[in-house]
Amino acid sequence: MIIKYFAWIKNITEIEEEIINDVKITDINKLKKVLSKRYPKLKKYLQKNEMIQIAINLKYTRDNKPIKPKDEIALFPPVSGG
Amino acid sequence: MMIKIQKKDFNIEKEINNIKSKYPEVGAISTFIGYVRNINNQKKVTSINLEVYKKMAIPLLEDITTKAIKKWNVIDSLIIHRYGKILVNQKIVLVATFSMHRDTSFKACNYIMNHLKKDAPFWKKEFYNEGYKWLKNSK
Repeated sequence: MIIKYFAWIKNITEIEEEIINDVKITDINKLKKVLSKRYPKLKKYLQKNEMIQIAINLKYTRDNKPIKPKDEIALFPPVSGG
Repeated sequence: MMIKIQKKDFNIEKEINNIKSKYPEVGAISTFIGYVRNINNQKKVTSINLEVYKKMAIPLLEDITTKAIKKWNVIDSLIIHRYGKILVNQKIVLVATFSMHRDTSFKACNYIMNHLKKDAPFWKKEFYNEGYKWLKNSK
């Protein structure tokens, strides 16, 4: 699956996007665990829904939804457009 | 419905006239224009940098606009949202709604702008004389 990072989250990951192929990542919570290990500085933010929002295939999700290998997952802070 | 996400500045009158000229039945156009302010949170702002998740922003803005068009029977609409570096006094966003009467155009314009602020995936990094801050919209 492709993982995209935006705004200050990118400062922590130091990349804009990456492909993670791991059959064990079947839902958002599992992805969060993998990302917390990969980016320890991201862990505290991933634990709070209000700090990092998640979109699966361009749609917001607040719950622990299942994810598939071809999905595009985006992690971003609360928006500030307009 | 027209949605543009672009780096470059735009001419408000030209953009609005492009649409208005197609609809002699339009009697009311409501607009919202957002600008970069020179002061925010008691700090002197020099510029902002706007980041966007364009691939998500376009369908999301289409969805918001479709709802507004249906709800208030709006004839057409325009959203232009810029990204990249934008200086103080420059435009960030334009929302315009085209209706027969003012009441529906006002309401639709307000609805689109409120939902854009709440959900559209844009992020502002605000620069001061010293340092910067990522902003967060109030709900």
